[in-house]
Amino acid sequence: MPDCKTIDPLVTPYVDGELAETDRRNVDEHVHRCPPCHSRVAAERAVRALIRDHRPALESRSAPPALRARCAGAARSTGARLTAFAKAPAVRRSVFLNLAAWRARAVPFALAASLVVMVGGAFLYQLTDSSARVLAAELTADHMKCFAMNAMLGTHEQPSTVESTMVSGFGWQAHLPQDAARVGLELVGARPCLYGEGKIAHIMYRHQGRPVSVFMLPNAARAQQFVEVLGHEAAIWCVGNRTFVLVAREPRLEVERLASYVQASLH
Amino acid sequence: MARKGLRAVSPAFEAEALQALDSLYRTALRLTRVPADAEDLVQETYLKAFRSAGQFEPGTNLRAWLFTILHNSARNRARDRARDAVAIDSELVDRAAEQGPGGFSAGGPYETPETLLLRETLAPELQAAIDELPDVFRQAVWLRDVEEFSYAEIAEMLSIPIGTVMSRISRGRHLLFERLNHLRPVNA
Repeated sequence: MPDCKTIDPLVTPYVDGELAETDRRNVDEHVHRCPPCHSRVAAERAVRALIRDHRPALESRSAPPALRARCAGAARSTGARLTAFAKAPAVRRSVFLNLAAWRARAVPFALAASLVVMVGGAFLYQLTDSSARVLAAELTADHMKCFAMNAMLGTHEQPSTVESTMVSGFGWQAHLPQDAARVGLELVGARPCLYGEGKIAHIMYRHQGRPVSVFMLPNAARAQQFVEVLGHEAAIWCVGNRTFVLVAREPRLEVERLASYVQASLH
Repeated sequence: MARKGLRAVSPAFEAEALQALDSLYRTALRLTRVPADAEDLVQETYLKAFRSAGQFEPGTNLRAWLFTILHNSARNRARDRARDAVAIDSELVDRAAEQGPGGFSAGGPYETPETLLLRETLAPELQAAIDELPDVFRQAVWLRDVEEFSYAEIAEMLSIPIGTVMSRISRGRHLLFERLNHLRPVNA
């Protein structure tokens, strides 16, 4: 007959119903004539049942939505990131760009998304120190990411709605262009930029079905310039202590035209 | 051009992986006890998982694989912080093993007054008692009784032998039993 010492390592799998038939019978027999082992099984069984009864409560806490977004974002940038740094000549199938208009333009996405992952933490937290090129690359990446992840291209917002978002989110009394249609721009929406700790405002437009972003960086000064990066053109200018960056995948002249319009009509 | 293992993550893989987010987060909370640390840990887990998605063997348990990454990451962090909590806990485990079956309350019928009483425990009391357990026992009990992983899966996650997994679950449950009974000393 098995003694307590033999039974000891079998108690937990016995309680969990994980024992093979022979072992299970041995424990059964022992437990019914050994009070200490008996109560040991009873205690373990009771705790196990208690936890299982309370599982709904123990599992009531969900992951914060922002964490979910970050983790989903990780999936969308990782595979691409590796190829980008391997200087792959071809584009990988972009798993999330379903926007037909974007398909043909997805080429630099891999590289851009990778830069977000690689430099996001390091640079955007010290905005004033990063070079214009890095800044432009980063915002371009965010530009592509935001449009792709939020399926924003199909939406439409009123300037007044976005203006009130700017006031509440950034303390910025913005006056958005009221006649943007004149240069072919349609307002799509706005959001805090994910990689700037939410301190960067991202206003999204659509220009002939293609995404155009205007970023506002508070407390940052920059020289006015154009940067070509990741297949996009970025126009950078500064008003007071705010830096603006317009990002689009358009020819330089077109971006200059859009930027000068926005610069003139955005206050 | 594509080196092995450097493929983009398929939408199906991503979707299935993200299904585990809530339970990974809750488990990370039990590990770190600090929400911000738990979030970091979970994000790190997903970054690593998506980066090494090529190493995942299709057909095996993706959720268990993610939990393994989570626990490996947590261990690396603990090691980085050069905390000696693990050493202390191992000592507890050894002592628990020596204690044997006689170490727990003896006698009584199959349903003891204590086990009956235990049913009155409320979820917040149980949660608090779980949180008070030493790390190694809390992990083992949580992974088994809440997340319902097999002994083998837990062994893989925690990098310990299956026998140790079982003894930690056992010890963890008994510590909980004692703690929760202590809250209602009717028969004392």
